[in-house]
Amino acid sequence: MDLTLSIRQKQLRRMARQFAKAELTPIAKEIDEEGRFPWETVEKMGPLNLFGIQAPRQYGGAETDSISYCLVIEEISRVCASMGLMLAVHNGVVVHPISRFGNDKQKAKFLSPLVAGEKIGAFCLTEPNAGSDAMAIESTALREGDSYIVNANKIFVTNGGVADILILFTSVDPGNVKKGFSAILVERGTPGFEVGLLENNCGMRANPVSSIILNDCRLSKTNLLGREGEGFKVAMAALDNGRIGIAAQAVGIAQGALDVSLKYAKERIQFRVPLAQHQAIQLMLADMGTMVEAARLLTLNAAHVKDQGGDLSGPSAMAKLFAGRTASKVASMGVQIHGGYGYSKDYSIERYFRDARATEIYEGTNEIQQIVIARELLKRGED
Amino acid sequence: MDVIVCIKQVVAGDRVKIDPGTYSLVRSAEFSYINPFDLFALEVAVQLKKEHSGSIIAVTMGPKISEEALWEALALGSDRAVLLSDPRFSASDTLATSYVLGMGIRKIGKFDLILCGMRTTDGDTGQVGPQLAEELDLPHISAVEKLDGEKGSFRVERVSDGFREIIEVSTPALLTISSKTAVRLPSLIDIQDTFTRYSIECWNLEDLNADPNKVGRAGSGTWVEGLTPTAQKKSCVFVEGDVRKQTRILLSKLLEKNLLP
Repeated sequence: MDLTLSIRQKQLRRMARQFAKAELTPIAKEIDEEGRFPWETVEKMGPLNLFGIQAPRQYGGAETDSISYCLVIEEISRVCASMGLMLAVHNGVVVHPISRFGNDKQKAKFLSPLVAGEKIGAFCLTEPNAGSDAMAIESTALREGDSYIVNANKIFVTNGGVADILILFTSVDPGNVKKGFSAILVERGTPGFEVGLLENNCGMRANPVSSIILNDCRLSKTNLLGREGEGFKVAMAALDNGRIGIAAQAVGIAQGALDVSLKYAKERIQFRVPLAQHQAIQLMLADMGTMVEAARLLTLNAAHVKDQGGDLSGPSAMAKLFAGRTASKVASMGVQIHGGYGYSKDYSIERYFRDARATEIYEGTNEIQQIVIARELLKRGED
Repeated sequence: MDVIVCIKQVVAGDRVKIDPGTYSLVRSAEFSYINPFDLFALEVAVQLKKEHSGSIIAVTMGPKISEEALWEALALGSDRAVLLSDPRFSASDTLATSYVLGMGIRKIGKFDLILCGMRTTDGDTGQVGPQLAEELDLPHISAVEKLDGEKGSFRVERVSDGFREIIEVSTPALLTISSKTAVRLPSLIDIQDTFTRYSIECWNLEDLNADPNKVGRAGSGTWVEGLTPTAQKKSCVFVEGDVRKQTRILLSKLLEKNLLP
């Protein structure tokens, strides 16, 4: 088993690292504090193909392997988790399912501008009464000639405030949500489409997470992604894939928290020596480093399984569960190393601490990942 | 316009490790990158190619891992990349390095310009460019900030000792570049394509038909006798009292150390 990255993969990672360092390091703190989406920086990502990392070449994507995808998301998130999230959602649960389930016309219309970064994507599943329980959605799409009349109240939509093209999950059969569960592509600006209030979240504050409301929104049947009733398949495929990106994002946050903690431990003097010379601090750093490496390997393993065409559900759920927990734990230990300064907004570790927490919740909570993992384990036959 | 750009893979400043036996740098690809001045030179070459068409060949001497720097040069716009690599080249000083680079460039053959970074961020001698020009018997101008012209003749600007010199030079010539042009990042597609379109040519001592006595330690006019780190001592003095008093103390300290104009 060869765990060495290829030179190509290292070069792709290096580019993402350089971009993050040059463009995101100077603004990460400020955009978090202001809750601002940094358009001027986001505009630079399109020409670098960050909006179509794995998308097919034919639509302008870079068509990288999944390991490279993880490396890129990790490097961006290491510096700015909000932007890592924006890219992970756009690439992982919007561009990917359209590439996989879209027909040629849909790909030409929706994929090309998404991949170029001219338009930003979002994924709308969660509703006030449906989250982990996806089948509890109340959104409806009623057939009317060549159209659907769609009503929906979607909440916690990542990228919601800036998204132009959204995959929305609804039911074409209100009497039987399971049978009618469908995915439909919605464009911002369609009459009846409304961006609701932005969430006042504790972390990921530079990402405009919002509610999305559709009031009698008329959408052409050509916007249906996959077939009627196939929505659950689309959602699960998107999420199985998306979880790898979120795991990579969590690894990035954990690595970033470790980076700033190492720096602080070398600089801060207590009892006449740097913190790093105290064994209590070394023990924490050692555990943090080990957890980050384990989370990274589990994440890259899931990416490898995807590249090999294997069954993703188990590996991606394990990666996401472990990486999310690692991000939270490592960031929390980082705060501890920083002591009182770690609780202050003057040091970036508190941002990592707030950002990390979300990775245990979105794109499937820890508990949902555990359900997926247990199901996979239990259905396996004996060796 | 055919341009050869000489590049060097350097180790990030805070990651430098020295082999205590040979006093040479321990290289790790992870923390290495193209010497920033060489990137400026490469960027100048890319602009020349845009204006005059032609080709860019990136050349480096180094161990196998220096290949990574060449891949990066390809992603940034080089058309060809040559690695001069042989265990016998190790421990070369600037003279032996210039000889190896010169032999590599002789083997490449045709070119109009050779561009080098003005200096490297590790060795910091600034010698390889001028020595390479001597090796190849070419006119050279160092510390070039701006160039303009075409095949045959170039008008070159360099800044030295507070003067801006404007010099005409005929090609083929060697220029060392000091201009700090903004360096582009390659896109993901640029990088992906590089690995499907190109390969790295690797030449050893025999391929270059080089004299073994002119390379490595044997070919070096200088060698490192000793190397000790110099500690940079920083001390911090807290100035106390009200603002007026603090200002007075600060001013007197700065004057005492001759730090005010």
